[in-house]
Amino acid sequence: MPGTPTAAGPVVASHAFEQHTGEVKVRLEANQLSELFAEAARALCELLGSPTADAPSEWQRVTVIARDRDALLVAWLNELVARTEIDHLLYREVAITDLTEQRLDATIRGVPFRETRTAVKAATFHGLQIAVEPSGASATVVLDV
Amino acid sequence: MSIHAEPIATFEYELVDGRVGTCAHVFADSELITAIAHDHSLQQLANVTSLPGLYGCAFGMPDMHEGYGFPVGGVAATALPDGVISPGGIGFDINCGVRLLATDIDRASFAPYRERVVHDISRTIPSGYGHGGRLTLERDVLARVLEGGCRALLDELDAGLPEDLDVIESGGTLAGADPTAVSERAYARGSDQLGTLGGGNHFVEVGLVDTVFDEASAARLGLYAGTITVLIHTGSRGLGHQVCTDFLALMDEAQARFGIALPDRQLACAPLSSPEGRRYLAAMRAAANFAFANRQLIAHRVRAVFRRHLGVEHTLRLVYDVGHNTAKIERHGKRELCVHRKGATRAFGPSSTEIPVRYRGVGQPVFIPGSMGTASYVLVGTDEAAARSFASVCHGAGRVLSRGAAKRQVMGNELRRTLESRGITIRCPSNQELAEEAPEAYKDIDRVVDVVVGAGLARKVARLVPLGVVKG
Repeated sequence: MPGTPTAAGPVVASHAFEQHTGEVKVRLEANQLSELFAEAARALCELLGSPTADAPSEWQRVTVIARDRDALLVAWLNELVARTEIDHLLYREVAITDLTEQRLDATIRGVPFRETRTAVKAATFHGLQIAVEPSGASATVVLDV
Repeated sequence: MSIHAEPIATFEYELVDGRVGTCAHVFADSELITAIAHDHSLQQLANVTSLPGLYGCAFGMPDMHEGYGFPVGGVAATALPDGVISPGGIGFDINCGVRLLATDIDRASFAPYRERVVHDISRTIPSGYGHGGRLTLERDVLARVLEGGCRALLDELDAGLPEDLDVIESGGTLAGADPTAVSERAYARGSDQLGTLGGGNHFVEVGLVDTVFDEASAARLGLYAGTITVLIHTGSRGLGHQVCTDFLALMDEAQARFGIALPDRQLACAPLSSPEGRRYLAAMRAAANFAFANRQLIAHRVRAVFRRHLGVEHTLRLVYDVGHNTAKIERHGKRELCVHRKGATRAFGPSSTEIPVRYRGVGQPVFIPGSMGTASYVLVGTDEAAARSFASVCHGAGRVLSRGAAKRQVMGNELRRTLESRGITIRCPSNQELAEEAPEAYKDIDRVVDVVVGAGLARKVARLVPLGVVKG
């Protein structure tokens, strides 16, 4: 679950939206890579809309497979963009259960949203950077809006 | 060597980055090129010249700004049979485009109905992220729309008029579309989105022909000073987004196998002669047909709104419908090329046999919307543009401010009051979204159009001003 302490210590993660003329650039930081992916989902939700107070959906299992770590982050965000649009749910609650360079397993659950903010079409590879250091992980990703 | 632009002709600059054998030109004046150089769009245009099989130069339009992969306002052609097709050169919103309808209603006659017509359009046309429409298509019907575009929509739903097809780019149907190349997830995203605007800078704008620059050409297009128009800007919605997402991942996987190395993974591409390239082209055409049909259904519903309020005698005539996020196989000179237009509009000249018979001798209509509250232009393509820009012009004013910067600089509620005090009815779900599309966030549309005309890419026909805007 978001914010759950792990063996690596308390989870610290954040996101910020940076300047991009045409699209939206998101800067992500976390103390571990799995939490970085979870934070990416939360940033996406913040962009997409405001949740209602309705009860959340059931937990759903999600698996994403990609060619490498960069492609995995793009594919993960695009998985959430598509599910949000089809299910009309904001997937704010995310638990990454397993993460390798090429595969992500997660459970997610969403809530209906009342007000849309930014229409996100997809995540892109453009300018994508993921850095993993002993001190934590960071990434920058551009979303087409 | 850092990349920069050097003037080579009036309204034309060449990119210089120290590489030999690459060619990229930007149509701009000194003020616009300064604005363009402010972000990363020059580098993005330079990156485009890395595409295998590129034919001639890559071109930047005067509204060019930073995108992803291609810049927005980028044009590049690759030579068949082995040149590549790049989904990033088309964008996620496949065949996003603009459709203009004309009426014989004058401003005074329309004035009593303006508020209620704009309000009714906002109630009738769903907008916003992920918002489905009032119509959910069975899978087999959707497949027929993907294959047949506007013709299928007429057959299936009786949406539109048969004569509309004559004045839609490619007749509203790109041949060679393959519904089986579209993923089930794309079907799922698109099943309830036909007839919806979506979000971002999409809109339905009720306007007025404010100025006519060329009366003879305007009359051929059915545009007369002082009459009411409707401009519709939207695309292929989630279905198109998913097609691009699917094939970008596929092509990204295949780059090594094709022996292609690119400076930006978002430019991932495949030779048009490869199975991947052919399948993407077929899927992209299907998504493009969905976009044509989407604008067709929205226009059909707008016509119904006008009938409800103003009576049946006022028909909204379709002037033209043209996309600005496409790749099309076109003959230029003796070569068959795949022309990518990412945020750029096809603009065939008066002698082209590809344009409607009624517009031959005039040129293909081109619509260049300004920002919310400013003017939009109707132009026609020139024969000269074929040699200068693969018959392409810009698609709008082009952003200069990020959405975040626009929201910090502009108060949405003040903007709403300002626009309404100028007699423009606004329907937009939130003031923040309104601020994102404020005039300050865009280049000066008059200047952008002057560059297009000065460079010989198109001619001005008319200028439209908004009376009411329904924002996506």
